[in-house]
Amino acid sequence: MLSINKAPERDHLVITLNGEVDASNSVELDEVIQEAIAENASKILVDGNRLEYISSAGLGVFMSYLEDFNEKQVTFVIFGLNEKILNVFHILGLDQLISIKSTKEEAERALYEA
Amino acid sequence: MVKPPNIPRGKIYVLLTILSWFCLLLVDLVRIFGEINEMEGVVKREITWILEIIFFILLYLFFNNSINKKENNNFLNLIWRAASTGLIATGTSFLIIYFYYILEDTRLSDDPLLRNFFYHVNFALTAIFLISTALLWKHLILYQKNKAVVQQWQAYEVILLISMFFVLINQESFNYGFMFGLIFLIIYGIILSVNLKWIPYLTFKEKWKSILFLAIIVASTIYLLIQLVSYTQKNVHFVNLSENLFLLGLFAFVLIYAVFSFLVTLFNLPTSSVFEQKLTEAISFQKLSQSIQPGENEDQVLDILMDSCMSAAYVDAAWLELYPGQHEEEKTGAIPYQKFISNGERQEIMDLLRRTEPYSDYLKNPADVKIEYLYGKIAHEIYQSVLIIPVRANKRLLGVMFLLKEVKDGFNREMINIISTFVGQTSISIENYRLLNEAIANERYREELEIAQRVQRSLLPSALHHNNCFEIDGFSAAADEVGGDYYETFRFDKDNFALIIGDVSGKGTSAAFNMSQMKGVFHSLVQLNFSPREFLAKANSALSRCLEKNNFITTTYYTVNTGEKLIHFARAGHCPTLYYNHKEQSSRFLDIKGMGLGIVRNDTYEQYLEEGTLHYHPGDIMVMYTDGVVEAKNNKGEEFGYGNLRDLLDSLQGLPAQEIRERIIQEVYTFVGKETLPDDDYSLLVIKFKA
Repeated sequence: MLSINKAPERDHLVITLNGEVDASNSVELDEVIQEAIAENASKILVDGNRLEYISSAGLGVFMSYLEDFNEKQVTFVIFGLNEKILNVFHILGLDQLISIKSTKEEAERALYEA
Repeated sequence: MVKPPNIPRGKIYVLLTILSWFCLLLVDLVRIFGEINEMEGVVKREITWILEIIFFILLYLFFNNSINKKENNNFLNLIWRAASTGLIATGTSFLIIYFYYILEDTRLSDDPLLRNFFYHVNFALTAIFLISTALLWKHLILYQKNKAVVQQWQAYEVILLISMFFVLINQESFNYGFMFGLIFLIIYGIILSVNLKWIPYLTFKEKWKSILFLAIIVASTIYLLIQLVSYTQKNVHFVNLSENLFLLGLFAFVLIYAVFSFLVTLFNLPTSSVFEQKLTEAISFQKLSQSIQPGENEDQVLDILMDSCMSAAYVDAAWLELYPGQHEEEKTGAIPYQKFISNGERQEIMDLLRRTEPYSDYLKNPADVKIEYLYGKIAHEIYQSVLIIPVRANKRLLGVMFLLKEVKDGFNREMINIISTFVGQTSISIENYRLLNEAIANERYREELEIAQRVQRSLLPSALHHNNCFEIDGFSAAADEVGGDYYETFRFDKDNFALIIGDVSGKGTSAAFNMSQMKGVFHSLVQLNFSPREFLAKANSALSRCLEKNNFITTTYYTVNTGEKLIHFARAGHCPTLYYNHKEQSSRFLDIKGMGLGIVRNDTYEQYLEEGTLHYHPGDIMVMYTDGVVEAKNNKGEEFGYGNLRDLLDSLQGLPAQEIRERIIQEVYTFVGKETLPDDDYSLLVIKFKA
């Protein structure tokens, strides 16, 4: 089960992931990010506090937008990932490409100071 | 019974019958000749009677035989046969009368011998008519027979047989005994004649025809009776053949049954349409029940449904609104079936229904399962009553049928019941049809997958390269029929080897396709003998061009030199290798910097990679695995985890590679539990260094 919430906060957009992202629902995540890009959001924050699991298909979604983020100068920060998921990002090497923070404050700082 | 084998029984009967008739004629002519010439007692009259009895019995046998042979005769044909025989007998009799009319003033017309000859012809034809008709009646009486009726008929046949011989006892006089016998036969004939079950099965048209034929039969019978009796009165020199209980009894039976049938058929005419209606319904029902053949479509069944419902309830106009596919929210469906109504009228009525309670409520939400049908009156200038009935299959709304009648309160309970049954049967037919099609599609899909499975299994190596310095053992299991895990070895020379383990993102068929690409990339690059870091950079470059945007592959590439006891490796986002160090008696994960293949699709990729180097020692163990192993979940949702795997290896380090591999897999399976299906591919490769 996955529920995704997207809400603007100050100058940025917060995407909250709740539950598990796997092959069956990674499309939903894809749609939300696509929307965010279409809305010309320049600062995107992903709240992973309640993300329990992410499969390779879910990681594939983040990965597939990395180029778009670069091109459109979008700052993309993920925060609040639990240790297990953080490890998944780390093993794959995505932590070298995506800015990952532990708390929302850190993430916001990264967003506005970058 | 003695009979020549090659002559049909029917022909023998004909021959014998004709022979017996000639004998009868001859004997009687001799008798009359004797009578005229006052020569008493040349031939006894008992001989006439006996010959007559033989003639009757042979006729009976012949017709019994010939009618039984043609069992497929329908009722109308049977009655027509009787009527035509009657017409022939009557016609012949008229011809004889006409013949005498021509001869009127000649001597020949008074000749008793000639007159007797014609009497015998008439008699024979009458007997043929009566006996054949009686046997045809037998067929009609025994239609839908039960045991009682069959017994009644058999008794009647016995009684008829006895009545033939009555003449021998009775000596030709018209006494009380004869009267009593005749009345008995008449009463029995009446009892038999109530068996008229065949009549309702005639259609309206057939009933009219049978009434005509029956009238002919009644007329012929009466005429022949009168004509035969009149001979007795007209002629002085005369052999009496008609004062026979059998013959008169048959006259009575044939006549009574014909009259009964005539009257019953006549009175059945007005209700005939109801019976026909019920029969049509039964046939419609049968048509609907026959499941649609694969390859055909549902349209035919829906068409039959519409026709059946319309004829069952005398509907004046109807249409069927179908809701296409999954989109039930689309309120306007297609209208493939529209009978006796124009688009304009339909739209008009639809608008009317949308404004009228309770139809409007229903039409807002036609998927409401609680409503089986809706009927009532509408305020339309032509159509006064409407029946709305939803057609469902697999609990899903397929469409809604609208039936309209020009009369008020046009739908009664019987009609609604039968229509509901039709609709129910249609649903079953369509459900069956869809299930069958699904089953066929699934079967085809399964076959394709089996092929894919075979092809993919051949992509994994059956033997792994190694030399005496190390043992190696591998295992792979896919969650679906095909998987995305991959491992392979390559031998450069006697001391140098390459190893690879990989996992394609996603699972199932798409992962399997990407895995085969990975295999191609491995085999083309491995021969160039790159360092692991270079190898992965080149592999990334190649795969970036062919992987879909959101697909990636994680892999670890190793080169092993058993001469220098050196391992070089680089990790492309793959699970860190577990390494047991024999000297330190402990395992650790070789976590070096890495990045999955296909994530960064440009030249900067190489900078995200590190290359590791290891000096191995005998007793060291290297475990390569895919994330399915560490992420395997038990029924509580807990993962097997890295810690478990490491501890397990520590405990198994003394065993040979194959056993280590087997035990790890076994532990993972035990952890997952039998009830839980694997939801990812598992692969495991174990290397144990010996020297």
